Amino acid sequence: MDKLGTKKLDMQKLLAPAALVILYIFFSIIGNNFLTFDTLKNILESSYYIGFMAFGVTFVIIAGGIDLSIGTVMMASALLGAYTFKQHDWPLVASLILTVGVGTVFGLLNGGLIAKLKLPPFIATLGTMMMAQGAGSIITNVQSQTWPTATEPVGGWFKPVFIRSELLGAKNFPVGAIWLIAFFIIAALILHKTKFGRYNYAIGSNEEAARLSGINTDNWKVGIYTLCGAFCGMAGIFYAAAYTTITPGTGNGQELNAIAGVVIGGTSMSGGAGSMVGTIIGVFIMSVLKNGLSACGLQNHWQTFFTGVVVIGAVLLDIQRTKAANRVKKG
Amino acid sequence: MKKLTALLLALVMTFGMVACGSKTNETTTTPSTGDTSNTDTTDTGDTGDTPTEDTGSGETLYIPVMAKGFQHAYWQAVKQGADQAAEELGVEIYFAGPASETNIDEQVNMVKTELAKNPKAMALAALSTDSVTEILAECAEKNIPVIGFDSGVPGDTTGAVKATAATDNEAAAAIAAEKFGENETVVAAMQNATSDAPIVIGCLSQDAVSASVTGRTTGFVNKMAEIAETYQPGKVSIEGHTTWEKKVENPAIIIRVEVSATTEATSLQTSASALLGMEGITAIFCSNEGAVTGFLAATSDGSDLGEGGKYEGLVVAGFDAGSAQKNAVRNGWFIGSVTQDPVQIGYQAVALAVAAANGEEVADVDTGAKWYDATNIDDPDMATLVYD
Repeated sequence: MDKLGTKKLDMQKLLAPAALVILYIFFSIIGNNFLTFDTLKNILESSYYIGFMAFGVTFVIIAGGIDLSIGTVMMASALLGAYTFKQHDWPLVASLILTVGVGTVFGLLNGGLIAKLKLPPFIATLGTMMMAQGAGSIITNVQSQTWPTATEPVGGWFKPVFIRSELLGAKNFPVGAIWLIAFFIIAALILHKTKFGRYNYAIGSNEEAARLSGINTDNWKVGIYTLCGAFCGMAGIFYAAAYTTITPGTGNGQELNAIAGVVIGGTSMSGGAGSMVGTIIGVFIMSVLKNGLSACGLQNHWQTFFTGVVVIGAVLLDIQRTKAANRVKKG
Repeated sequence: MKKLTALLLALVMTFGMVACGSKTNETTTTPSTGDTSNTDTTDTGDTGDTPTEDTGSGETLYIPVMAKGFQHAYWQAVKQGADQAAEELGVEIYFAGPASETNIDEQVNMVKTELAKNPKAMALAALSTDSVTEILAECAEKNIPVIGFDSGVPGDTTGAVKATAATDNEAAAAIAAEKFGENETVVAAMQNATSDAPIVIGCLSQDAVSASVTGRTTGFVNKMAEIAETYQPGKVSIEGHTTWEKKVENPAIIIRVEVSATTEATSLQTSASALLGMEGITAIFCSNEGAVTGFLAATSDGSDLGEGGKYEGLVVAGFDAGSAQKNAVRNGWFIGSVTQDPVQIGYQAVALAVAAANGEEVADVDTGAKWYDATNIDDPDMATLVYD
């Protein structure tokens, strides 16, 4: 019985990476100039910020919660960072720290509302989602804010450090990928190798049982949401590095890209199950799909449509998996 | 479960394949008719419907046309012009834009994806020049000429942008001044004006910052002053905003520039009311759709300009389109309005890109503007230019 369970799990673990590889090969054959360094770079660059948000929200979803505020919190962080840097001449490092700080504070707020004041996560984060969007607009007076480009004398190091620079013989080496992998490893270690991670799963599987077994679930939940917020702040940095100009009032819908990535990666929306590897692969499946479809000359609405198909497919798989797992347990 | 995954993947791929296939068929139907370097925009009616046989000539030139929007009627008109040029010049274009003008990330991704296809040239209307600076630098390095269109790529320092196809706002607004100069009421008023009873010609603008609106204001004010001078030499005074101010003592004709405090409709309404309340107000030009909206709000949606209305006899001209403005023009409340020519913008963008791709020298093109009034607003040619 046990043996059967692990075997099934192994196969499922292989499903997502296999789908990613197959999609990549498929588009390489059919797409126009898909199998190039430039395209790979584009895929990576459009994945960084979604990846960071997805890492953060993976913790929350495994704990049986949801965070709808990640998209607008990311934008608010990036807006405030750019605002302090450009309008108030802060040193870039200080602005970057503030960017992560803003995300962390919103995460802490989410955690407090949900764990201490017992608001349902959906409602609490819906509220903070709007608050973050509004706060960004209020502070910047609804003006677009720009981060420094690579050629600017002040802060010109921003892009080479976070997104791309001349390295290892490549002119546009995607340095962002190094950051993404580094934080992927950190996130995976936290989730799979620490007490924090174990309690995270425990809360998601059965919060009441976790509480009765002596875990201070409220405090840990605050921690989980705060960590998610910190990742959103970092996502803000990588969004800024990729797109330079941040427009107030945007960010709505970005959270769904990240959540979709988490779901495609096999993390269960009902909590208690999921992995970081799944999340990063889920995020890349979406990026490959988007870039691949546009390499075929299809416009955005097609990309959105297919992403939807994949999300539904992934959740169907999740349902099948839960059913199978239950059968195993009963058997 | 395995079955389900397989099914899902197969589904995505089949869709992808079918969609890609149909797309390719659709876009490669334009045969390369030999010399594609001919960029003369002579006869747009001649679409040459002789499908030349596949002579095995080289690949069709591929040019991405990256707009600031897509679904808005204005951008559809731009696309229509671009498609027309593509057909005439025998090139393949890919016209795309983000869902809204705030989706900078969407546009950046689009432009990056297109650049990865190594096009021979690209047409671009950038949402944010800063966001595409690195992409433009890459274009400059790879010698991919970029053609700006619509608002173009303002402040490009990389040298990738070789030319821009856009409306010359000064020339466009001058059309309105000329129309005032041909209007009987205005002409009579200018002839009869004296220093004791000066007349006022107003210009309502939403700001003194954006390039397009200031260009239009300058174009209108200069042309209007030139015309007014012929009736009242030395007695034409330009007042209202320091940017354009040229005051004279005892003027007979005052050209009053009213710039609104903010771009909000209510603020423009206040400015419009200020103009309307001036002694001797004879004519008013509203320099964009926002100004028109504010002006109409100040005149009971324009009905005050009609027969028996409070401001009957006031001569008004607008700029751009939009359903409220079209309504005012159709009812004769406005003598007419100036509109940009989005079809020409799209056409010239592609024509310039093709020329640049073929290594020709290219220069900025004024895509012109058109005057529309109650008599021609519903002509099929005009209908594509004046969006709702």
